[in-house]
Amino acid sequence: MTIDITVNGEQRTFECEPHESLRTVLRRAGFHSVRYGSDSGETGASAVLVDGRLVSTDTMLAVQADGHAIETVEGLAGPREMHPIQQAFIDTGAIQSGYSTPASILAAKELLDHNANPDEAEIRDALGGILDRETGYLRPVHAVRRASALLLGEEPDPIEVVHLDQLMGAEDEEHTDREGLSDIAPRVVPSKDVPTTRVVGTAAPKTDAIKLVKGNAAFTDDTDLTGTLIAKVLYSPHAHARIVSIDESRALALPGVHAVIHHGNVDRVRYASGGQSYPNPLPYDQVSFDSKVRYVGDRVAAVAADTEEIARAALDLIDVEYDILPAVFDENEAIAPGAPVIHDEPDMDGAHDPSRNIVHHLEAATGSVDDGLAAATHVFESTYRVHQVQQTPIEPHVAIAEWDSDERLVITTSTQVPFHVRRMVAPLLGIPVKQIRIVKPRIGGGFGVKQEMLIEDIVGHLTIATGRRVRLELDRMEEFVSSRTRHPQTITFRSGVDADGKLTLQDMRVVANTGAYGTHGLTVQMVTGLRGLSSYNAPVKSFDCIVAYANIPVPGAYRGYGAPQALFALEAHMEDIAEALGEDPIAFRRKNWTKVGDPLDIAPKLGEGDQDESVVPLITSSGLDEAVLQGMRAIDWSRRDDPAWRAPADRPHIRRGIGFAMAMHGTAIPGLDMGGASLKINDDGSFNLLVGATDLGTGSDTVLAQIAAEVVGVGIEDIIVYSSDTDMTPFDTGAYASSTTYISGTAVKRAAEEVRKQILDRASTMMGVPSDVIDLYDGAAWADSGESVTLEAIALSSLHQEAQHQIMATASYVSPESPPPYAAQFAEIEVDIETGQVTVEKLIMAVDCGVAINPVTAAGQVEGGMIQALGYGHCEEMVYDEDGRMVNASFGPYKIYRADEMPEIEAILVQTMEESGPFGAKAVAEIPKDGVAPALRNAIANATGAYINEIPFTPERVWRALQDA
Amino acid sequence: MVQDCSHERVRTLVIANYHRPQTVDEAVILAGRPDTVLLAGGTAVNAEPASFSGDVVDLQALDIIGIEAVAGGVRIGAITTLRSISSSDLVPDLVRDLAHREGPNTVRNAATIGGTVGAMDPTSPLLTALLALRATVSIVHPEMTMDHPIDALLEDQSLLDRSLITHVTIRDAGSAAAEMTGRTPLDTPIVLAVAHRSRTGDLTVAAAGVSDRPVLVDRAHIDDLEPPGDFRGSPEYRRALARVLVDRAIAGIEGGGR
Repeated sequence: MTIDITVNGEQRTFECEPHESLRTVLRRAGFHSVRYGSDSGETGASAVLVDGRLVSTDTMLAVQADGHAIETVEGLAGPREMHPIQQAFIDTGAIQSGYSTPASILAAKELLDHNANPDEAEIRDALGGILDRETGYLRPVHAVRRASALLLGEEPDPIEVVHLDQLMGAEDEEHTDREGLSDIAPRVVPSKDVPTTRVVGTAAPKTDAIKLVKGNAAFTDDTDLTGTLIAKVLYSPHAHARIVSIDESRALALPGVHAVIHHGNVDRVRYASGGQSYPNPLPYDQVSFDSKVRYVGDRVAAVAADTEEIARAALDLIDVEYDILPAVFDENEAIAPGAPVIHDEPDMDGAHDPSRNIVHHLEAATGSVDDGLAAATHVFESTYRVHQVQQTPIEPHVAIAEWDSDERLVITTSTQVPFHVRRMVAPLLGIPVKQIRIVKPRIGGGFGVKQEMLIEDIVGHLTIATGRRVRLELDRMEEFVSSRTRHPQTITFRSGVDADGKLTLQDMRVVANTGAYGTHGLTVQMVTGLRGLSSYNAPVKSFDCIVAYANIPVPGAYRGYGAPQALFALEAHMEDIAEALGEDPIAFRRKNWTKVGDPLDIAPKLGEGDQDESVVPLITSSGLDEAVLQGMRAIDWSRRDDPAWRAPADRPHIRRGIGFAMAMHGTAIPGLDMGGASLKINDDGSFNLLVGATDLGTGSDTVLAQIAAEVVGVGIEDIIVYSSDTDMTPFDTGAYASSTTYISGTAVKRAAEEVRKQILDRASTMMGVPSDVIDLYDGAAWADSGESVTLEAIALSSLHQEAQHQIMATASYVSPESPPPYAAQFAEIEVDIETGQVTVEKLIMAVDCGVAINPVTAAGQVEGGMIQALGYGHCEEMVYDEDGRMVNASFGPYKIYRADEMPEIEAILVQTMEESGPFGAKAVAEIPKDGVAPALRNAIANATGAYINEIPFTPERVWRALQDA
Repeated sequence: MVQDCSHERVRTLVIANYHRPQTVDEAVILAGRPDTVLLAGGTAVNAEPASFSGDVVDLQALDIIGIEAVAGGVRIGAITTLRSISSSDLVPDLVRDLAHREGPNTVRNAATIGGTVGAMDPTSPLLTALLALRATVSIVHPEMTMDHPIDALLEDQSLLDRSLITHVTIRDAGSAAAEMTGRTPLDTPIVLAVAHRSRTGDLTVAAAGVSDRPVLVDRAHIDDLEPPGDFRGSPEYRRALARVLVDRAIAGIEGGGR
């Protein structure tokens, strides 16, 4: 049918089917800013203004819009123009992946069109319909406030780094009043060790901001799909079953169906799907399609058809006969005698004992447990349970495969690991690596779930089968049940403490659940052990971990990677010990936590990389003591000891509490993670920076550009970043393990330093002075005499005029070290003691991430990470029925926080100078995930006396704990 | 609340015909046809994961929109959006608040009061408020036009078959208060209690999360409730919540209410 809609002021006529959503029709017409997050409207990624009001186009039929006026972000400003709201989103660092940024900008426009000067509650209400998994909403709120000022012609608050006074060693001095501080600027506690820089350390805007605020084509699915076949996957309805028979003949007979693939017509090639370095860790327990299914959501078959409707209809026509087998879901039950055997296939490769569902049995120790016990005055032991959650990037997995004109297979995919995907998918498809190109456009969030070769083999197989371009995008339910999740674990900590309150032993026993397949099962649990046993000094440390198969959707990489599990248990355990000993919880921890110069003695035994176990790394930098003081001040820690504050007289059913947790993470995988970078000069003195690193929205492209700009003496606007494409950019292991700034950043710095040498040589020749008296800044080479020559002149000389030479360099970097960032996490909560409802009032994290290359993006990482972590501790959980079907596989039932229900959040960046990092940087991306859950737990204990050893802290769980207390 | 995650129930919306009637009479005739679904804002119907095949009747052109004061209360057209309700000074404060509580702005800008009543979401805050305030729902049927107490509709949903909701009327704003518990401040309530005291002093209490639909509850018989259990809360917990929240809601109106 035909509908008429005014889009961005222009009368347009569209052809559509009556059932098609407005999102579908607008995207088909090229409005890329209208993005898919789910079919049922909760994400808001598809929102547009309809007659001036923000509406989800997921749940609006295109025909409903007939006769109405629609505004999309594309209509706000023309090419090379910027609407003040778009500019405000850039200025404030409100964009991370930018996937839903167009919708947030329209939300701001709706608000400001009706209310020119809104308060914060009104701004949050306006943003309430756009789920943001990345920013923690703080900077988008600032952006709207700034846009309001710009539109009113007022001077907006400046966006400059706010320097806080250092408190360590100056506890008794007067400090700057926090009340007067701007809340729009990142807060940094500077270190005297940090050298002065021009570009590094500034709040530079994102290099990729324009395409993101304007809704330009940027993401995998922002492409013309004309003539593209649509793939859909048939998933198992059973948690455990053998496929007795599969008959696709009825599906193939359906007009418009081009291929149906399944275990009967796809080669059986074993692999591990985790996107990790070669050789991928064992076990190799997957094939593209198997004759057995191991969880509800496991692959059975895939279809390529002309349209999504035909593909879905074809799925219904695939006749599958299952022999349903008993299933087991809990990790402890899975390893018990008599449990169903999940991997009984004869070609199973590399699991510890598949007959007992044991994928791995990890053991590591320093010293003898008996010695640790013998030295202890007190021994404490507790067991903790952490659950399964999902990463839920708003952009789901999406991949498009096609033959290019040279008949090489090109897969454009939303992946964190393009180079791993190329290497891993090649044997599955029977195509050499050189015949495959992986292109990674912008990624709409990943958080680890895209550190996987997850769907690229399916589109590859279907393109091979059909000769056609094939696209597969997971819908939201598929994203929940058939992508990747966080590992559930049962963790038991036993600690010995001597008479002085010093740890003599930390013994950690873990049973972890890796679901149906091993993928990251080994390495996540190694990180659990590493993080659980590296935070505190104990002469004896012991780790014993069984990783179990079970019939649940597959856990994999999720930001934090085993650390959030470990830190919940550890920081609950340490709190309990302090309480039992009658010690102050922070003082007790401080007595034991690792400090500069302390050995990380368990690390060599739990490392992935090529490490010499006899070489024990030492802590080289730590700002933890300062971070704790900053956090205590910011949250007003002493209130937790005030009975009148904890039990407000006017609200008899409310108890208040403040909790603390320390966090320690790693920076990249030593000896393994490698990043490469190329930098070349252009005619005008600008540079192309080619990196294999994958910016998930973290701002890593911007940070890498800042590093390059600093070295070669230009502004960030003169660094044009391209990432990442296996044909075009150097290798990089990808975005994971908090590695990009540290590893890829060092590679960029090294490449830039080589380019700098070449520039200095050319400048030396041109100016006739030695190169060692020349410095580069402000886009020119400056001799100590004050004479200068621009980089443009240097580039023109080098490229065109004399002794022609392309000034460029490529470098790579792998680190022997993994310097830990530290953090102090604080939470303030209220507990309704009659209902168990926990209301989180405030989260503060003070983080030592070394030198923040870009304080705005670093603070954004902390803020967004804290809110993901809040979900982990408070409200997110994957719930199953007795048959292993997830019962809450949609947003809402699976609850993530909205802008209009957020606690107050604050990030404080405590600088330290980490000599091994580029310009002193350590990692910041993952550590915000580590401390919130235990800080909440300890706050609940402070408020109520209930010590709860299982997350999330849902109202009923807390209520039951209070009933039992 | 429970979803099947195999492919069979993935949304397959097949719309044979789309209608946009211009009058209520025209809409009622269309509503009377088999395999027809009425579309108000579409936030519930179009988000429904189950399959649907048939005709859609889009109510957006009908003149059943707006909010007007009536003796002692307010009359709200069925396709009035929740945004309009939550920002209207004519609407009782508590109804306004709970209309706002139905969802974020992307929902409130499209969803309507008629759609909210028709969808009968068991945890709907607005529906629970309307029940506590003894709202009446005007329904046009091919053969008749009737006003039903909303509790009658909730008891017998077949009253809505082949008919069209045109208005919702609240005749006695009185004094009201609500209390709820959820995982987060704006999460779907596990249990919600709304207490209302009429101008004549009659107390009505409604609750959501204790049955398969919002229900009127008697404080003295809360222990007789048999709530459903799910991942948000077990039957035992919901019953305990109901006791606490009903008491608080009643205390809330004694303290002034809204």
